[in-house]
Amino acid sequence: MTFVIETRGLTKTYGSVRALDGLSLSIPRGGVYGVLGPNGAGKSTLFRILLGLIRPTDGEATVMGGRIGDVAASRRMGSMIETPRFPPFMTARQVLEWLSAAHGLRADAARVSGWLERVGLTEAADRRVRGFSVGMLQRLGVAAALITEPELVILDEPTSGMDPPGIQEMRALIRSLAERDGITVILASHQLLEVQRVCDRVAILNRGRLVREGAVSELTSDGERLRLSVTPISRTLEVLAALPGAHGSLEGDAVMATLPRPEAPALLRALIEAGVDIDEARWVGADLESVFMTETGSIQMPETIHAR
Amino acid sequence: MLADAIRSETIRFSRNRMAMFWSMLFVPVFFLAIGTAVQFFTRARMAEMAEALPPEMTAEGGPLAASGPLDLGQSLVSQAGDFANPIILLFVLIGAAIIYAGDYRWETWRLTSARNSRINLVVGKVVLVFGVVLAALLTWMISGMIGELIKAAIFERPLTFSFEGERAGQLAGFVAVTVTRLMQFTMIGLLAAVVTRSLLAALFVPMVVAIGQFFLMQSLPLLAWGVGDLQSHLLVPGLSHDILKTLLQGGPDAAALPDGVDGKAILSLALWTVVPLVASVAWFQRQDLSRE
Repeated sequence: MTFVIETRGLTKTYGSVRALDGLSLSIPRGGVYGVLGPNGAGKSTLFRILLGLIRPTDGEATVMGGRIGDVAASRRMGSMIETPRFPPFMTARQVLEWLSAAHGLRADAARVSGWLERVGLTEAADRRVRGFSVGMLQRLGVAAALITEPELVILDEPTSGMDPPGIQEMRALIRSLAERDGITVILASHQLLEVQRVCDRVAILNRGRLVREGAVSELTSDGERLRLSVTPISRTLEVLAALPGAHGSLEGDAVMATLPRPEAPALLRALIEAGVDIDEARWVGADLESVFMTETGSIQMPETIHAR
Repeated sequence: MLADAIRSETIRFSRNRMAMFWSMLFVPVFFLAIGTAVQFFTRARMAEMAEALPPEMTAEGGPLAASGPLDLGQSLVSQAGDFANPIILLFVLIGAAIIYAGDYRWETWRLTSARNSRINLVVGKVVLVFGVVLAALLTWMISGMIGELIKAAIFERPLTFSFEGERAGQLAGFVAVTVTRLMQFTMIGLLAAVVTRSLLAALFVPMVVAIGQFFLMQSLPLLAWGVGDLQSHLLVPGLSHDILKTLLQGGPDAAALPDGVDGKAILSLALWTVVPLVASVAWFQRQDLSRE
């Protein structure tokens, strides 16, 4: 596996505040990679270091195989961090032409029009940026990150300020960047449902440290449970308690059973033998939000009733 | 690449038409309009004014004779020599401040800084400002020539264009000295922009320095420092600028200057240009660009 970004012990302090605390992270090439964390987790600091806007206090990082500040490596990367800003007297089209020139590309009208169309700004292409809404600035920011045809793009909160149809369009665009254009996308967002739908892998940061990393499917399957609508509940909990490696809890009028998937048939057989009526049994995955909340300690998880 | 940085700055500045107008066109157009109005007024009142003057003053060959030829070559040289005046400085500084501090004001460093070296980014700006100063000089000289043509038409005077002997060297010298003088102030503006991240500082700090230098120049006799003293030049580069212009003009004023003053003047102009540039680059290299 090749990595587009690798950090080793990356640390950044602002006075007494440790924004990044020895972060070691490897982001593989390809797909959409989410970087999650509560406010102050260190996401923006990480991006700023990767873009060479600030220097780390300690540790090292490579981007596209080059050290931070290596212009040749940085030229293979695009980015949109925080709310994008542009010279107000320029039109959207002029902004993209200007950035093409800044990055050593010739002004290609077809490429500029193509990206304006993909981000949904064709009609506003020749309007001055000073009249743009936050959502339009976000769209132009994404186009600006992509106009140089990078292999890696960092998008920090790309749907911030967008309406629901805009969010849906952006989600589709991000997936198409990874799937159609082969661009590795690193996405930071507070909208965890969006991240779960779009990302292949995620890293969860908290207080400048990596607390969890992996494929979205792996992270959510960790909390997978069997939801049982059964009668009587007390008998079901007794059966669960007797089954090695399983335990159950009551949530509403259903029993939530935690056990390895291969043990499910044995559990169902045991319940039937014990005279339990099973109305419904289905696997329920943990969503990314609950994984995030657990890992970052952002909220207390609901108290569970363990059968054993 | 430096070429990318220059191209990027040029494209962006060329889209900012107001900045282009104020920094390169306003002063020449304004002076041309005022000068033309004065010529028309003078023409209208000429007969009346001539009556009030002694006849020998306005007779052919006299100092106020209105029939002698107008020399466009001389006009070019004069315009170049007058280029580094405070009004042009103010308006050139508007353009320079926008170029130097624009990325802080519009928060656009993050768009460009990852894909080019920081030295290239700063030098790209300096090259563009140099181009703006040259363009302002060109429009200033052209407006001077147009002014002479208008004057010739109003007063029905013949035109000549003599550019012989030392005049070409004099023109080149004036261009070098006055352009360097303006670049000096824009370098102070660059340093102010990088350190304060403020467009207003990039505009007003050089103006304050210019005013300070003016008063220092008046104070030199109080310090008992002469025009031949190195410290006078190092403290007041405006003195160096004036002395180099005097040397280029020649004549008794130039002959009266002490030996070796030209070297001290050139050293002063060079130091006041290069030191702020080097300081700006050094500061910018380590600057946190996430806070714009």
